[in-house]
Amino acid sequence: MALLPWKRAVPKSGPPTSAFEDLALPLLSSLYNVAVWLSRNPADAEDLVQETFLKAMRGFQSFERGTNFKAWIFRILRNTWLTSRSGLAAMRTVALEEELEERGELGPRMVPEGAIDRQTPEVNLMRLNDRAELQAAMERLAPPLLEVILLCDVEEMKYREIATVLEIPLGTVMSRIARARTALRGMLQVHATPPRESDAGGANR
Amino acid sequence: MSDHLSSAILNALADGELSGSELARADEHLAGCPQCTSRALAQSLLKSATARAGLRYAPPPHLAERLARLASQEASHPSPSQATPRIGWGFSSYGWAAAFALLLLCVSLFLAQRWTQRTSVASQNAGLVTEVCDQHIATLAANSPPEVVSSDRHTVKPWFQGKLPFSFNLPQNLPGDTTLDGANLTYLRNQPTAQLLYSIGRHRVSVFVQEKRDGNDSKRALTDHSGFHVTGFRTADLEVVAVSDVDPARLSDLTGRIEEAQAPPK
Repeated sequence: MALLPWKRAVPKSGPPTSAFEDLALPLLSSLYNVAVWLSRNPADAEDLVQETFLKAMRGFQSFERGTNFKAWIFRILRNTWLTSRSGLAAMRTVALEEELEERGELGPRMVPEGAIDRQTPEVNLMRLNDRAELQAAMERLAPPLLEVILLCDVEEMKYREIATVLEIPLGTVMSRIARARTALRGMLQVHATPPRESDAGGANR
Repeated sequence: MSDHLSSAILNALADGELSGSELARADEHLAGCPQCTSRALAQSLLKSATARAGLRYAPPPHLAERLARLASQEASHPSPSQATPRIGWGFSSYGWAAAFALLLLCVSLFLAQRWTQRTSVASQNAGLVTEVCDQHIATLAANSPPEVVSSDRHTVKPWFQGKLPFSFNLPQNLPGDTTLDGANLTYLRNQPTAQLLYSIGRHRVSVFVQEKRDGNDSKRALTDHSGFHVTGFRTADLEVVAVSDVDPARLSDLTGRIEEAQAPPK
């Protein structure tokens, strides 16, 4: 299991397992948060996190010291999720990405990007303050787009780390991020301004 | 002014993924382009908003306790693979033993399968030889003439029309001393079969022609049985077995002619 050796500040001293505790326990909140998002169910998420911990503990020998522990354990979480009931169900509905895009299943039909780009940012600003609405929009994202947004925005991972966690090329990470954000903006704007032409002037109510 | 910033650049900008030179170029453009600046702003607002909205679920306290307990248990009772430092190939002896056992199992299964296949083919062949000899002997013993009595291949072959689900050719030129006596419709291995009756001198020959059942093209290893010589050949569609008490060379001569007749005309 060769992780790319981007060195990030990780403590690396002491006997193996206590080192594992030191590394893994602080990540519990992050792992659990992403686990609930992915499995959409707190009980499944608990099982998922526990299984991830056990797998990581047993496989800790294969973890290369000095490399990125967070990316390593998130990859285990994600692979464990993929083989779980909810992961299988989610991935079964997700075929080839291009196919998805053609069928428009990456969330509700998007407004063409050009149209969004002409939109004034005030509209986004207003809607973005509505946390519940944004969360609802994230829930509607297809799993491949949701996970990339969670890793990038919430976990603040670098593109290279995301590529390692998801085991996809860097270019795919970038295109998924772009598509996820376009989809989010589209959903928020569709909600915000049903008749766009008439509403455009009064966007900063 | 250069072209507007692409959405890929705007995303990378919000995510802090632009290299030094890319960042400098983007900054330069943003300084003079309010449209891109507002898009860049919208992009980073979206990012920070999803970052806040995404932080939604906190682990229940009992989960943290349980995992900490698991981790400390694992620390006090390390599993064998953790206790032994990684040596050489980094694979525990248990792993190698299991791999070896698996390999052994696979090899023995493979050999067993090969052996069963071979013995089943051998018993099939032996069964065929016995059946062919029995039919030949029964034909010799019966006083009745063949169902179609003719030395003319143009009579014998059409006689099978509608009786057999396949067709075959009969050789025009037979070796000296060899004559066609007639033919019977019979059954071999539960399949309709043409039994061609020839005489080589005073020796009687039965040639059984039937449709090939398996795709196997390899020659059958046919043996002699009860003093009778058994030989045969296979074409793409037919399986032919000849039996007689005549000299094997002359029998092969006849089957050779029949085999030639099956080849498509040039």
